[in-house]
Amino acid sequence: MAEVEFDQASRIYTAGAKPAVNRLDLEIDDGEFVVLVGPSGSGKSTALRMLAGLEEIDGGQIRIGGRNMVGVPSRDRDIAMVFQNYALYPNKTVGENMAFPLKMRGVPREERVTKVKAAAEILGLSEYLDRKPRALSGGQRQRVAMGRAIVREPQVFLMDEPLSNLDAKMRVSTRTEIAAMQRRLGVTTVYVTHDQVEAMTMGDRVALLKDGELQQFATPAELYDKPANAFVAGFIGSPAMNLFTLPVSEEGVRMGSSELALPRALRSRIADAGLSTVQLGIRPEQWSVGSDATGSGVKAQVDVVEELGSDAFLYAHLDDGEQTPVVVRTGGRSGARRGDQIALTPTSEDLHLFDPSTGERV
Amino acid sequence: MTVTAERPAELTPRRPDRGPGSRADGWIRRAPLLPALVFTIIVTQLPFLFTIYYSLQSWNLVRPGSRQFVGLDNYILVFTDSQFRQVALNTVLLTAGSVLFSLILGLLFALLLDRAFLGRGFIRTLLITPFLITPVAAALLWKTVLFDPTYGLINFVLSPFGAGDTDWISTFPLTSVMVALVWQWTPFMMLLILAGLQSQPHDVLEAARVDGANTWGVFREVTIPHLRRFLELGIVLGAIYLINTFDAIYMMTQGGPGTASANLPFYIYQRAFLGFDIGQSAAMGVVVVVATIIVATFALRLIFRSFSGGEET
Repeated sequence: MAEVEFDQASRIYTAGAKPAVNRLDLEIDDGEFVVLVGPSGSGKSTALRMLAGLEEIDGGQIRIGGRNMVGVPSRDRDIAMVFQNYALYPNKTVGENMAFPLKMRGVPREERVTKVKAAAEILGLSEYLDRKPRALSGGQRQRVAMGRAIVREPQVFLMDEPLSNLDAKMRVSTRTEIAAMQRRLGVTTVYVTHDQVEAMTMGDRVALLKDGELQQFATPAELYDKPANAFVAGFIGSPAMNLFTLPVSEEGVRMGSSELALPRALRSRIADAGLSTVQLGIRPEQWSVGSDATGSGVKAQVDVVEELGSDAFLYAHLDDGEQTPVVVRTGGRSGARRGDQIALTPTSEDLHLFDPSTGERV
Repeated sequence: MTVTAERPAELTPRRPDRGPGSRADGWIRRAPLLPALVFTIIVTQLPFLFTIYYSLQSWNLVRPGSRQFVGLDNYILVFTDSQFRQVALNTVLLTAGSVLFSLILGLLFALLLDRAFLGRGFIRTLLITPFLITPVAAALLWKTVLFDPTYGLINFVLSPFGAGDTDWISTFPLTSVMVALVWQWTPFMMLLILAGLQSQPHDVLEAARVDGANTWGVFREVTIPHLRRFLELGIVLGAIYLINTFDAIYMMTQGGPGTASANLPFYIYQRAFLGFDIGQSAAMGVVVVVATIIVATFALRLIFRSFSGGEET
């Protein structure tokens, strides 16, 4: 077990072009579960592969347990990796697959057998040890890949979207299993995903990347409550946060024809930043919905109602002449229907404000 | 409460009298294939029957009127003929040697071409060229341009080292033929193995590296098992073609000196068209066909096992 450090680590595929990973700084504590998340092309997988030794480190350093990994081949890094397509050895049985990392490190045969049996027991693979991977289901293959990683007892686990080939239900249960197993083994883990739900539910801390640059590295709650910029705000949370660019007025901001009053604390932050327009972020659950007749609030018209049972999402557009879309969460069976006129009022004081030019949090 | 299930009266489905699946329907499907079948029988099976018939005769073309039924005498002669045994051994050596060496060389070249380097496309084209040359021309090239004791390039290159006066073809006839065959068949093996190498999933190789395998470990534990079916296919196809080698032997050595470099097809040709001993050569032909059938049965089984091994995903 060890801490992992990205120190200004960069990966440049073509000289002169934008780096795939640009001066990434991360300090991952011993035993921590860190999720790298971001949209496609954000460099999250590249960052993980740099840590695995499958990509060059073109600039800066990556340290595992304080040891600089630049120029160190994968096999000497004491890591184990779970691949997106599992990358099992097709000609080896499940048992041979799991024993392979031990065999390559010269672990004697009896010890290999004992360790593989123990790992198979944990993963419920005992009866499949003699099968070839092609005779297994997707979920079983995924567990074999996990098993191959854990028998090694490595310093760091690396996981590259290990759940993306599973069906939705399996993904949720495996998600919990992986998180629980990591807590029990206490091995530092770096996990890559594009799914922000996985990131939020699994990680001790989450690093959000975009275009090879780190946007924010924080706990899931902090990421949700205090997004560092408008991109983070829009990426974390499902459905996404509503973001409006609005002119600042006396009492708050102007939203279409109506004025949205903001709490004093927020107003003073806008004044301090000296902004005349501001990007306002309101999460779907931070609205309260009234009927149009009651008057106060921002007027909107419902386009789609997503009824989920425990709650419902209203996809509406504002009556501001530009049909700005807005998402609102209400209780289940709210009775709202397509075409309804509603009046929206922010309920929370913790609205998010961003500088419209830089996207940074105000 | 008891539930009694009625046993189905008939367990095997009965062939319907008409419509799809009936006997008539089957013939409607098969009938268009009949001409091809008849043709195949005429050109392959009838000659074989004639061969069997001739093999029971004593018939030498240079002795008119010598033709008579002799039973299995020709076969007894075949099996007591020490030359025939020598030639059979030559065939095995030539086939196995050529296949094996071209497979090893092909594997090495394929591994080379599997990595990126400057001018790879050009080198690949050069490496394939020997396979595109007419076998007779290739044999002639080796005989005259390379192996010739007076004008040959090999002796020319070796002469500064004081070793340039070997008559390669007379001294090592079988090996010389084998060298030419290996030269010609290496590209075939290379292409086959290269296809195998390039169909290898990258993440499996990466997984092996992360799991602690060095280059040799990855090759032995991951690449070779993946290539197994490609190697098997190369062996079977190579053996099928090379066991029938005639042109290289005809051009380079004429099977000589003596029968030192003759293989079975060439020896049979010699007996039939130079010795004019039809009965004897027919008997040899039959023996070779039977032996080939036995070998081919195993070889085909190997091919089918390779292909029916299931998709590796």
